[in-house]
This record gives sequence, structure tokens and C-alpha cells, in this order.
Amino acid sequence: MPSGLIQLLNNTGVSHEIAAKMIFYPIACLTLLFAISVVTSRNIFHSALYLALTLIGVACVYLYLDAEFLAIVQILIYVGAIVTLFIFTIMLTADISTVPFGGIMRRTLLSAIAAIGIFFILIKVVSKTTWQAAGAGAPSLGLPELGRSLMTKYVLPFEVISLISLAALVGAIVIGKARKK
Amino acid sequence: MVTLAHFIPLFPFLAFLTNIFFGRKLNKASALVSIGASIVSLGLAAYTFLSLLKGQGSYTLFKWLVFGITSLDVGVIVDPLTCMMLFVVLIIGTLIQVYSIGYMHGDKRFSRFFAYMSLFMCSMLGLLLADNFIILLLFWEGVGLCSYLLISFWFEKPAAAKAGMKAFVTTRIGDTGLLIGVFTLFFSAHTVHFRDLAALQSSEPIFMIAALLIFCGAIGKSAQFPLHVWLPDAMEGPTPVSALIHAATMVAAGVYLVTRCFGLFFAHQPALIWVGYIGAFTAIFAASIATVNNDIKRILAYSTLSQLGFMMLALGVGGYSAGVFHLMTHAFFKALLFLCAGSVIHSIHTQDIREMGGIYKNMKVTGATFVIASLAISGIPPLAGFWSKDEILSETLHSGHPVLFAIAVVTSFLTAFYMFRLIFMVLFGGARSKLHPHESPGVMTVPLAILAVFAIFVGFLGSPFMHNVFQSFIHFGHAEGTAHHAPDYAVMGLSTVIACLGIGLAYLFYILGNKILPAGVRARFTPLYNLLYNKYYIDELYDAVLIQPLMRFSRFAARFDNGIIDGAVNGCARATVVLSNIKSWIDRCIVDGAVNLTANTVGFFSSVLRRTQTGYIQTYLLVAFIGLVFIIFVKLIGGY
Amino acid sequence: MIPQSHYLILSAALFSIGVFGILTRKNAIGILMSIELILNAANINLITFNRFSGKPADGLGQIFALFVIAIAAASAVVGLGLVIAIYRNRKTILVNKMDLMKW
Repeated sequence: MPSGLIQLLNNTGVSHEIAAKMIFYPIACLTLLFAISVVTSRNIFHSALYLALTLIGVACVYLYLDAEFLAIVQILIYVGAIVTLFIFTIMLTADISTVPFGGIMRRTLLSAIAAIGIFFILIKVVSKTTWQAAGAGAPSLGLPELGRSLMTKYVLPFEVISLISLAALVGAIVIGKARKK
Repeated sequence: MVTLAHFIPLFPFLAFLTNIFFGRKLNKASALVSIGASIVSLGLAAYTFLSLLKGQGSYTLFKWLVFGITSLDVGVIVDPLTCMMLFVVLIIGTLIQVYSIGYMHGDKRFSRFFAYMSLFMCSMLGLLLADNFIILLLFWEGVGLCSYLLISFWFEKPAAAKAGMKAFVTTRIGDTGLLIGVFTLFFSAHTVHFRDLAALQSSEPIFMIAALLIFCGAIGKSAQFPLHVWLPDAMEGPTPVSALIHAATMVAAGVYLVTRCFGLFFAHQPALIWVGYIGAFTAIFAASIATVNNDIKRILAYSTLSQLGFMMLALGVGGYSAGVFHLMTHAFFKALLFLCAGSVIHSIHTQDIREMGGIYKNMKVTGATFVIASLAISGIPPLAGFWSKDEILSETLHSGHPVLFAIAVVTSFLTAFYMFRLIFMVLFGGARSKLHPHESPGVMTVPLAILAVFAIFVGFLGSPFMHNVFQSFIHFGHAEGTAHHAPDYAVMGLSTVIACLGIGLAYLFYILGNKILPAGVRARFTPLYNLLYNKYYIDELYDAVLIQPLMRFSRFAARFDNGIIDGAVNGCARATVVLSNIKSWIDRCIVDGAVNLTANTVGFFSSVLRRTQTGYIQTYLLVAFIGLVFIIFVKLIGGY
Repeated sequence: MIPQSHYLILSAALFSIGVFGILTRKNAIGILMSIELILNAANINLITFNRFSGKPADGLGQIFALFVIAIAAASAVVGLGLVIAIYRNRKTILVNKMDLMKW
């Protein structure tokens, strides 16, 4: 939790822990709700919008985890670029709402079973593990330090990422280009 | 001197070939070919006779088959008997062929008739010249074949065809006996040559059996009882055929055979006397039937049967020369009788004597020759038949068998009776129906006249007037005849009286008491009349006892063949078809079924399994995830 | 404060939803969006471990999450290019119509 917010909350006299909890769980539930809406919405456009909302919720969760930079980046890139891209594509491929979802089919049931199965497995794993206490173990990392480690210790992945981005760019153009008949 | 005897049968054979192959073109000239051939053979026969007088004997032409120590030589026999027979056959044959030009005039198979006649002449001459049984048998069969061909010459008539077949089959029965006899003789004596028979004086039973079997052939060919049934039916053939073959020559072949083997018979008296009894029985049997028959040719046929019986009787009692003498005279007057009958038939176109009568006025030559021949056969002196019949009667009398003598006397009486019955009913008296008789053309009457001359004078050869030249010429063993033949006046007188009685009775019945006597006697003795009229029902007996069972057996055999044997074959075929049907079913259903089953199973499973290939990536992912979940679940829970 | 496990439960739930979405959505873009959800769940995990691990603080988790975002972007870009191309070809982007490999 950012120290500024803690300070704000301290000033108002609210126990920042309870306040944190009281805000976090609704946000988490909303995020999940929006995520469910993404996958069950009949209208693809609505799905895209729900995706945007989900991603914003995830960004809020990042805030709680002392990753402010990443929250901003998430919003900037994910919501700002990728969801926009999604919407563009939805616009270009025009059968937005012609096809209904198809109702509950056998496949839907099986998929639900698979998803719930995975969920349970993960819950089991999580519950069986003893986690470290939620101490303030790690000081939050400031942005300069992040930048510094990005350029020195992890410069190779950084360069690779740029290459990947270039490749993706070029590839997308090539694939998406209209063929001359 | 040159031996030309073996060429004698050659010329008629060439005439046969010419007429068969070129007959259509030759037409009328075919008769001249045949007659010419006969005349050439007659010349050769005369030459042979002269060389015989000069001392020529039998000779061999070539060795045919050699087996072991014996061999079969083909040769020619030249002796008095053969020469005499050659003359008889050739003279009568030539005259009959001349007669046939007139009788067969207009027939559509004119040239074929002469071809067959020539073939017959060839076969008969060959038979007479053969010096062993095998060659004899060869020509024996040839003569039988010609007889068959000529009897059924008018084969459009079913009666003629049946008669031909009857003749062939009946003589075939006799021929079987002959064949077995020849085999028996060869088996026991290792020879088939006639010259060796004379040396055969042993009295083993097997030779008697051989002799009796050979006599069977004579029974068939000379129509003795019980194989006589074919000769009356053979009258279906043209009259010249009846004259030549069935009166004068072929039927005499049986007698000739017995005389050739006389040595064999003489050595076995039981066989010889058996010949005599059969001959005697045949003689009286046939004569009795002839007295009531109404067909002109059949009367003459039964007369032939009777006279052949006489000849056999003569041989049976040991009268070798008498039998041969009668053979010669009978040939001439029987041929004449048949030709006269043929002339009558040719003129008025009927054979039933009940429709004839009073023909003499219009057919003087025929009538005169007819009377001469009848007198000859009845045995009126000084005609030919008297001398020969008298010889037989005296032989029989001195043989020691009185029964045979009695039969011979009765038969002579009946002979005179039925012959003059025939004469009176045909030539004299009133016409019984509308007739238009006219004399036959010269080509027919001239042979009649010539034969009549022979019938009158040929008997003198054996008479005491010429010192029994014939008997010295033809005799058996040493000249036993000469001592015997002091003229037996008693027998001569007896035979003349018997003959006159017969003629008188016929005159009584058929001229004087014409209207009432025959009918009256018939009414009084109706059962006897019916028996005689139906030929003692012999034909019916044979039919019932032999022919019908044989036919039934043939039909059964045919049914057996068709039903069972063919049925077996058809059954096999059907079984094969059924079997192949089963096999095809197996092949189709089971074998193919197995293959199809495999294919269908694979198809079924693949149609089930292919549904996993949906081409739909989410399905694949689903399966992968479910699998993952499943595995992890198992690991978590199972704790592996 | 908020225990680590709750964050992990959140990410697990998000992940499951994302899986459900992949397996269920007929629209190709819907599938891509579900993939983004999964990636975000992973990101949450990474950030959580970064916060609670107590290891030398070089911000590895955050950098990792950054890279994941970048790669998610790249994959989304390429994926959407593909979708466009498919749409041009087949006039549809429904995956149940893309069954050329069907039996």
C-alpha cells in the first residue's frame, strides 16, 4: 500500500488496514465480475469494454502491491493500446452481434468443469502452502531503482523485448495487409 | 493250261461297280453291261470245264494268314460239282437278266436292279469257287446281302422292307450256327479247307457237333423248318429276283454246303440222318400249305421249300448224286415257273389266283411253258423232274428208313396236286374276274422258251438212256453210283402213277367240279383248312414266343439306358450344379462376409473415432485441459 | 494486511475464468481477450511474489510483469492481424466455422 495513502488514512483516523481491506475486496470482486462478463457477454463489443474494466481493476490490485509504475503501465498499455486495438478489430470484423452465444452446451459444461477443476487445484496448492507472514518484508522499490536494474541487470531481456516488438509489428503489418488481387 | 477260274466272279463285280457309279447315265445300257459280264463269265466257266476234263484240279492263289503250323490259303476249287453249279448259275442268271429287261421296264431304279443282280452273281460264283470255309463265309454273307437288297428293292412298300429284314434276320440265325460250326471244326481239326475234310475220318463227337452246326447255316439259307419263314415273305421282291435267288441259286447254296461237307456228314451217320429227317418234314409241311394258298408266287415259294426238303432228304439218305441231280433240274424248272408267273403278273397285274382263269387263250407261249414246267416238277416222264425225283425215291426206298420213303411219296402226290391246281385255276377254265391278258414281249418269252428246252432235256444227263453220265461225273467216294443204277422200274412206275393221280385230282376239283367241290371240301374240313391256310400259325408262334419278348426287352433296355444311365449322368450333372451353388453361397456369404466384416468393423470404429477430429481447436484445448486437471487431481488425491 | 494467499486466490480465479473463456468463446477476438485475462492473472501472481518474497529487492517480479505486458501486447497485435486476415478470407471470425481439418 503506498505510503502516501497510508498517511492520508492515518490522518483521517481510519485504521488503514481495515480501510485497505474494505476497499480491496470489493475491487477484487468487481474485477472478477467484470472478467466473468468478458467471457460470457454475447456482444463482443461489450466484452471488450468489460475487458477494459477488468484490466483497470487489475491495475488497482497492482497499486495495493506497491507496484505503482506497473499499474500506470498497465493502464497505459493494456487499456490504452491493447483494448483499443481490440475495439478496432471488432469494428473491422463486422459480425458483432450476429451470432448468439449458443446457450449452455455440452462443451460449455465441460469447459466449466475444466475451469473449476483448475481453480480447485490452485486453491488446494495455495492452501497447503505456508506463506510468509504479510510483513513489510520488502521495501517498495522506487522508480529509479527499477530503471537502473532494467538497464544493467536485465538489459538483455529488454533488448529482446524490443526485438520482439519489432517482429510483432512487422508481422502484423504483413499479415494484415490486403493482398493485391 | 492257264488257270482262269478265279476271274469268273470278277466280271460281274466290275459290272456291279459300273452300274452303281454310272447307272444314272447308262440307264437302259446297264442291262447290257450286266448281261455282257455274265456271258464273259460263262465263257470262262466253259473254259474251266474243259480244263477240268483235261485234268486241271483245285489250285491255290496265295497264302493269306499264317498262324503257327497252319495257314489260311486263298484258293479256287475246280471239281465237277463246282463246274456243274457254275453252268447252272450262269445260264439261268443270264436268261433271267434278259427277262428282267422286259419285266423291270420303266422302273425308276432300273440300273440299280442290274447292279444288285451283278453283285449277286459275283457273290454266288465266288461262293461256288471258294476252297475253304472262310472265303465261303465271305461270299455267303455277300449272297445274303444281295438277297436283302433285292427283296426290299421296292422299299416304298412297307411289306417289302419288312420282308427284307425278316429274311436277313432269319438267315442270320442260321449263319450264327454256321460260324460256330466252322470255329468248332477249326478248333478240333485245325483246318478250314474243304480238301482236308475228306481225310477226316475220325468219329469223335465234336466233329458231329461241328457238322450239325454247319447244317444250321444250311437250314437258314435253304429255308428248312424251322427257319423257313422268310422265304414266302421274300416273294415281295420282283419276280426275276424270286426266280434267280429264291428258287434256283441262293437257296441251293445250303444244299451245296452240305454236299461240300458230305465227307464230314457221311462219317457221322446220326448227323446225316438228321439232315434227312429235317428235309423230309420240310417237304411235306410246305407241300401241305401250298395246296390251299391263293397267291401265285407264294404257292411257288412253298413249292421251292418242298423241293429243297427233297434235296436234303436225298443227301440225308446218302444219295449224293441224286440230291445234286435234283438240284440242277429243280433250278431250271423252278426258274421257268417263276418267270412264267412273272409274265402272268406283268400282264394282268394281280397275284391272286382266285381272280384268274382262262388266260391260256391270250398267252400261248407263257401258257405252254408254264404247263411244261409243271409237268416237269410233277415228275412226268420223260421230262427232267421225273429222272431226278425218281432217283431220290429209289435212294430213299433203299435207305432202310421206310418212313422217309412214305413221306417222299405223299409229298410227290401233293406236289402234282397243287401244281396242277395252280395251272387249272390260272390258265384254264372260265375267267373269274375282269381280265385283259396279253402276251408278254419277246424279251420275256424267249428266255421262257429256252428254259423250257432245258427243262425238257437236261434230265437225260442222269437217265439210263445216257448211261448215267451225270452220276459218274458227280459222285462221292468211289463211283458207288454205277452199281446202284440198274433202272428201278418199280419205283419209276410208282412215281408216274402218283403224279397222274395228283393231276387227276386237281382236274377233278378245279375243272370238272369247279364250282362246288373246293368250297364243299373247305366247308367239311374247316379247322384243317384254317390250319393250312394260316401256315400252321408258325409266324404267329414265332412272333409271340421270340419276337415280342425281344421287343419288350429292347424297349426295357432303351428305358434303362435313358432313365438310369442317362439319369445317372444327368444326376451327376445336377449334383455338380448343386455343389457349385453351395460353393458359390459359401464364397459369397462366408468368405466375402468375413472380408466385409473386417472392413465394416474397421469402418465402424473409425467412424466412431473420427469424431475426435473436429478440426476445432477449442475441442482440442478442452481435452488437454481436462486431461491436465484429471492428472493433477489424481496426483493430489492419490498422493503419488 | 491482505494476506498473500488472497492475492493468489484472486489470480487463480482470474486464471480459471480466462480458461473458461478460451474454451467457450466462439468469436476469435473473444478468445484473444481471454488470453489477455490469463496473462493478467499471471502478472498478478508475479507482482504478489515480488512483494512478499523478501529476496534482495531488485524488482525482478515487476520487471518480469513488464515484459509479460510487452509480450502480451505483441501477441495481441499479431493475433489481431491474423484475425483480420482470416476475416478477409472467410468473411467470418467464428472459430466453429474454421473446421477445414475436420474429418
